[in-house]
Amino acid sequence: MDRQAYLDQIESMIRGLDQDGYEITDEHTRGWEFYFIRHELDQNRVKDVDRLEITLYKKSEDGQFLGSATGEIPEGLGRDEILKALQDLLFQATLVRNPVYSLNQPDSCAPAPQESEPIDLAEIAGSYIRAMKQVPETAAEDINSYEIFVNELTTTFRNSEGIRIRSRRPSSMIEVVANARRDGHEIELYRNYKSGTCDSDKLVRDLTETLRCGRDKLEAGPTPKLGTATVILSTEAAVSLYEYFLYQMHAMLKLRGLSTWELDRPIAEDVIGDRITIRAVTELPNSSENRLFDEEGARITDKYLLTGNIPRSFWGPRQFSQYLGLEESFIVHNFVVSGGSRSAADLRKGDYLELLEFSDFQADPMTGDIAGEIRLGYWHHDGKVDVVSGGSVSGSLKDYLKEMYISEETVQYNSAVIPAVTRLQNVTITGVKDPD
Amino acid sequence: MKAPFSPYLAGIAPCMKQLVNDLGRDYDYVSVLSTDSVGFTVVISQHNKAVSNSNMTTERGNVVRVRRNGLYSEYAFNQVQPDQADRMADQIRRALEAQMALLEQTGSGVYSTGPVQDDPITLFVEKETGTLPEKADIQGLIDLLTRVSDQGMQADPGMLECSVNARSTHISKMFLTANRDMRQSYVYSEASIMNAAANQDGENRMVYEGISACAGPEIFEGLLDKGLEINEKTRKVMEAGHVVPGEYDIITDPGISGLIAHEAFGHGVEMDMFVKNRALGKDYIGKRVGSDLVTMHEGALCADSVTAFAFDDEGTLAGDVTEIDHGILKTGICDALSAVRLGIRPTGNGKRENFAHKAYTRMTNTVFDSGEDSLEDMIASIDYGYLLEGTESGMEDPKHWGIQCIMARGYEIEHGKLTGKVVAPVIMTGYVPDLLGSISMASRDRRVDGNGACGKGYKEWVKVADGGPYLKMKARLG
Repeated sequence: MDRQAYLDQIESMIRGLDQDGYEITDEHTRGWEFYFIRHELDQNRVKDVDRLEITLYKKSEDGQFLGSATGEIPEGLGRDEILKALQDLLFQATLVRNPVYSLNQPDSCAPAPQESEPIDLAEIAGSYIRAMKQVPETAAEDINSYEIFVNELTTTFRNSEGIRIRSRRPSSMIEVVANARRDGHEIELYRNYKSGTCDSDKLVRDLTETLRCGRDKLEAGPTPKLGTATVILSTEAAVSLYEYFLYQMHAMLKLRGLSTWELDRPIAEDVIGDRITIRAVTELPNSSENRLFDEEGARITDKYLLTGNIPRSFWGPRQFSQYLGLEESFIVHNFVVSGGSRSAADLRKGDYLELLEFSDFQADPMTGDIAGEIRLGYWHHDGKVDVVSGGSVSGSLKDYLKEMYISEETVQYNSAVIPAVTRLQNVTITGVKDPD
Repeated sequence: MKAPFSPYLAGIAPCMKQLVNDLGRDYDYVSVLSTDSVGFTVVISQHNKAVSNSNMTTERGNVVRVRRNGLYSEYAFNQVQPDQADRMADQIRRALEAQMALLEQTGSGVYSTGPVQDDPITLFVEKETGTLPEKADIQGLIDLLTRVSDQGMQADPGMLECSVNARSTHISKMFLTANRDMRQSYVYSEASIMNAAANQDGENRMVYEGISACAGPEIFEGLLDKGLEINEKTRKVMEAGHVVPGEYDIITDPGISGLIAHEAFGHGVEMDMFVKNRALGKDYIGKRVGSDLVTMHEGALCADSVTAFAFDDEGTLAGDVTEIDHGILKTGICDALSAVRLGIRPTGNGKRENFAHKAYTRMTNTVFDSGEDSLEDMIASIDYGYLLEGTESGMEDPKHWGIQCIMARGYEIEHGKLTGKVVAPVIMTGYVPDLLGSISMASRDRRVDGNGACGKGYKEWVKVADGGPYLKMKARLG
């Protein structure tokens, strides 16, 4: 049976139930994957997978509460089994009591979603494979292995309020491990790039820089016990800093009291550095998250969330947004952090520790605590530059945001545009050796 | 009772066997892994309640693996026409041939790999369990979790939220080749409680812990007691300060011992990394990597945990590998294809995120052996240091043996006694052989936790468990 006819059949069965609302989300993934060791194919894979998820809603008798239950309808069920699964979901929905809220309504002003042509998986995968062969390897620096994932995601969303959306988008990822070696000592660097399709030039350019970092890492000495230092972040690790700002604007964190930020009130007092502006956007060039509607059928628009450290709009799923009284809210996927007033070159003045590689750099979206083991950094001091590794950075972004400087230049990492350079003052550094 | 094997999988078994036969005419190895795992998630907090019949291990689908000319290829799908195995075989051939055409166009060579073991095995395992997830009393569970959440809100005046999350899965998997028919079913359950509170300075503090077992939803009855423990920890963490960066004597609780086991010589000896020359452990087999007190096991048979399967996702029987014996690195863990490439036997560690994902070498239970010391003696032996607990995250570095563990709390020890002072959070970094080499005491008791999920790099999330006793060592904290 044609998939849309199958969904029609299921929607008809749902309408026959005593429910007070429903959402149907059907996603088809068509994927090609290639796994390489050096440049030899280790394994190839094809993925052809459907996933159908239903949420049923049921109001309490007094109308004060709305229950819901979500379930995946596995492939291969017969009509009676599907009906039983739906009845079970409906029963479970009666057990759940959340304050009442409403589902998204069709947006008459929204552009009609157009289903694009099928994605050419072979072309995208071929671009990745060819790009990897262009990376300028040498005997001392080369590619260890890489894994290519190219997906076409076709999504159908329907709800009881009349929303009907069908969209298709590419989503790709390549994971690359690079090596550098000298005198019997070998190091590795890890990269993971997500995007819509393959941007060959960007990939080759970045991996060329990665190999250069590998050469430097071979020369790295232990990070000195600096106590505190000015830290510069200029890689994708900095995205998690800005995600802290983004998630402090999330309706669920606000509702739970995990964000104390208030609309139109500065998020911190006595700020002497740059202030942060974040805008949600519908599309970014080649982002894997480009879409006109969110997972609940809400229209995504370009919207300022934070301007100059002042919250302008919280965001999030329909339920929590309504609890906060938010209008026209949606789930943010792409966001842009505005650049600051100084150049990246200006921010790289004085003594500072520029950190390029971490084992895993994290900024906790609920507490603002940051932490990361240093795998490669450049300690600029007294007119010299030492390449360093080991030790860690830690502290709280709540403290650091009071004197945080960001470059006017920005850079895109898939679904996020952030300042190319972020400078934090007085960051706690747990070093490995005593300073010279 | 026994966890019954999926009737759905039993129903499609003839079709899948036919598929193996059909594809066997064109390929010199064919296997099918079929999965049908059902379960639920119930989340109760002060601000939201949610019920779902999905969680990270619920799935229904199939993955075919074939080999030709030294190349292994896979096709993952979940649309099955039980009477049309021949059409499905054609579809798989065409899809894989299309990929071959691209590889030819791009001039890509093949990393040739020999045939995997396929000696005959017939296995049918239905493990003992209590309640089945599909028969669970969801109403009763919602009531219980609501009580736990309400109890959590009493932990401290600064409490903002207590979120309780319970998940249970009845797993059924079937692995078929020309020579193997392996079927298993088992149930595992896990639950977590997260207390979130704001201290007097407006800083948010989290306490997160859980319970888990290879058992049914009946284990959730222990959540009220667990909640009381977490409430006590929440009160302590509210006045936590920050650790002064430096090197300290530390004691790790069994959860943190498990985190170190996982990050150090879990990831460090995943032998698909040996194939790619990405793990330093490859050059240290037979050499010292820890003190005499360090003995470490890995395998699905090591503990009755969330990952206590009978066979892995490549049809290899579950194992129990001694990775480190009294400080000496003995061997690693291995998936089936890496075993062929390395010329060794697979260890039962080939795992997939789900049927649609590739199998890699992955951990199951990674556990330090117990020692002979008491926790009291261990604390008494420290002049100044910390007792660390509460796993937040960790990151592996098999190539350089760096380690990063982020822990929720550290309890100060001074002159052999706990002072009552707490620091939070705590980041521990170091060089793995230095860390394990510094282990000087190990307690008699041992615990294995299975609430976490493990990624390979930043993807491919699977259930794992890890643990050990309390361990005393030296570490760099920040």
